[in-house]
Amino acid sequence: MRSLAGSKIRALRKNAGLTQGELAQRTGISPSYLNLIEMNKRTVAGALIDRVAAGLGVERSELDDTAERRTIDGLNELLSDPAFSGRPQGPSTDLEFVSRHPEWADLLLRVYRAFIDRNQSVLALADRLNRDPFLGESVHRILTNVTAIRSASEILETDDRLSDAQRSRFLRIVAADSESLSATARALATFFDNPEMRVQSGTAMEQVDALMLDSDNYFGELEQVADDFRKRREFAGAIAGACDAASEEFNAPLDSVESRRFRAIMQMSTPLAQPAVMRLVGTHPALASEEARSYAASALHAYVAAAILMPYEQFLDATERRRYDLDALSRQFAVSYEQASHRLATLRRPGAEGVRFAFMRSDPSGYITKRLPLPALPLPRYSNACPLWAIYAAFQSPGATVRSFGTLPGGDRFLFFARAIEKRPQTVAFPRHLLSIMLVCPAADASRVVYADGLDAQVSVPVGTTCRMCPRHQCGHRQEAPLFL
Amino acid sequence: MSKTRVLIVEDEPHIVESLSFILQRADFEVDTALDGTEALRRLSRHIYSVLILDIMLPGISGLDVLRAVRSDRALDRLPVIVLTAKGQAADRSAAEAFGATAFITKPFSNTEIVERVCQLAAGVSK
Repeated sequence: MRSLAGSKIRALRKNAGLTQGELAQRTGISPSYLNLIEMNKRTVAGALIDRVAAGLGVERSELDDTAERRTIDGLNELLSDPAFSGRPQGPSTDLEFVSRHPEWADLLLRVYRAFIDRNQSVLALADRLNRDPFLGESVHRILTNVTAIRSASEILETDDRLSDAQRSRFLRIVAADSESLSATARALATFFDNPEMRVQSGTAMEQVDALMLDSDNYFGELEQVADDFRKRREFAGAIAGACDAASEEFNAPLDSVESRRFRAIMQMSTPLAQPAVMRLVGTHPALASEEARSYAASALHAYVAAAILMPYEQFLDATERRRYDLDALSRQFAVSYEQASHRLATLRRPGAEGVRFAFMRSDPSGYITKRLPLPALPLPRYSNACPLWAIYAAFQSPGATVRSFGTLPGGDRFLFFARAIEKRPQTVAFPRHLLSIMLVCPAADASRVVYADGLDAQVSVPVGTTCRMCPRHQCGHRQEAPLFL
Repeated sequence: MSKTRVLIVEDEPHIVESLSFILQRADFEVDTALDGTEALRRLSRHIYSVLILDIMLPGISGLDVLRAVRSDRALDRLPVIVLTAKGQAADRSAAEAFGATAFITKPFSNTEIVERVCQLAAGVSK
């Protein structure tokens, strides 16, 4: 994948008033090589990026292009949206666009997200107008009153033979139905004035997504809270207690022991975690709605509970020793497969990182309920992902791990592994509730992961991200035409 | 010669009152029923030339009444005007499937309904 760091270096060099020759000299490379880097035709990494940063007098992080990549992922999703089909330009345009006009790219993305938000609001409102029993009943009453008024009025207007008594009678009907009509109109006005009538924003989960992405799904402050929780005397035994309570609790047989234990820990740690959670939720600009703040607070409290049950260093150490074997990790930490999977995707403490995983959870209809992408692996937000991804195949054999190497059209290779799990046991009244959990890591890290064992690394399935973004014209699994020719 | 008899099945009394009045003015003999049960009782006892049937009735719905009428050999040719307050496609197609003769959507004009009843009573379906 091409890097955007070159464009940043070029901009920073110009800001610093340096020529290519001067920066090349400071960095110890040739001006022509620096030119290639600045044109994004050569990647810059490792010690070289440190030298370039030093030459420019900036922090290494200023050359990092994670934020731009996220913008590109968002713009690519915009490009793949059928509502905007017909654009002739491919994703390479975005790379240039984002590096040259970051503010415009960001604005475009915001406009797109606002468009999605409004669309969802309109759909929700339309649905409500169609189905709300109060509205249906009100319309019926209005039509009934109007029918009675119209009919009586016509009689009053056209019938010359009405007796006084008949005239009075029909006037009374008009008056009575007019009054009833007014009451219905007032009730409708009140109904639409009610703040609860407002359609909930469809982007609350997206806003939470933004919080997670901005933090790289790692919250040092919350890890600290989890450590404090474990150390505090009053909480001594709380974790074991929660374990016992979860094991002995028979009142909620639909939840697994791990889920109940997780919930119990979350409940116990909430008072301690609340200030840190509120600070994070209150200060993040992406969390614009009350609903989003509420979701974010729940997600962060769950993060704390996971960090209590799977302490960072201990869990990182175990993952490396057990080679990311989720079953072994689940057993060791007495957590569910999903809890362990999600924790893997939080091992991103700077200086003490585990293998970086993308995390994705989908229901059988393809609805994505959790997502955490990797810089080189965008996960779709609104559309279905590539049908060849393991996350979908996993539904064919619930409980078994489906794994394969996959190569994206750009050449990036990844190890995909997924398992469909039962969210809660089925009952007669509640059909089987399966969710598929997928983790993806760069193929370069696959040797550290047990799920690559036995797989021929040379055999890699040609995959895409979404059909509309995928240039593999001949793919037999294609559901939609590609956007790019 | 006896008057042509019409049955109005409608749960809104003010509409029943006006409808009865205009049809009586048009020289029809009018019976009324405020619900489906009363309608079926009247249909079993008297012979009507036209049935005006509201679709939204408490208890037995207008569609149920229509279905009962069409499954009764003595009534299966009775012209039925279905009144619908919603004017919605689903109600209309269901009533069509059950054998409604004509539809009038609320709010209707008196002239419209009298003309339609006259046509059907005279054996003209359109």
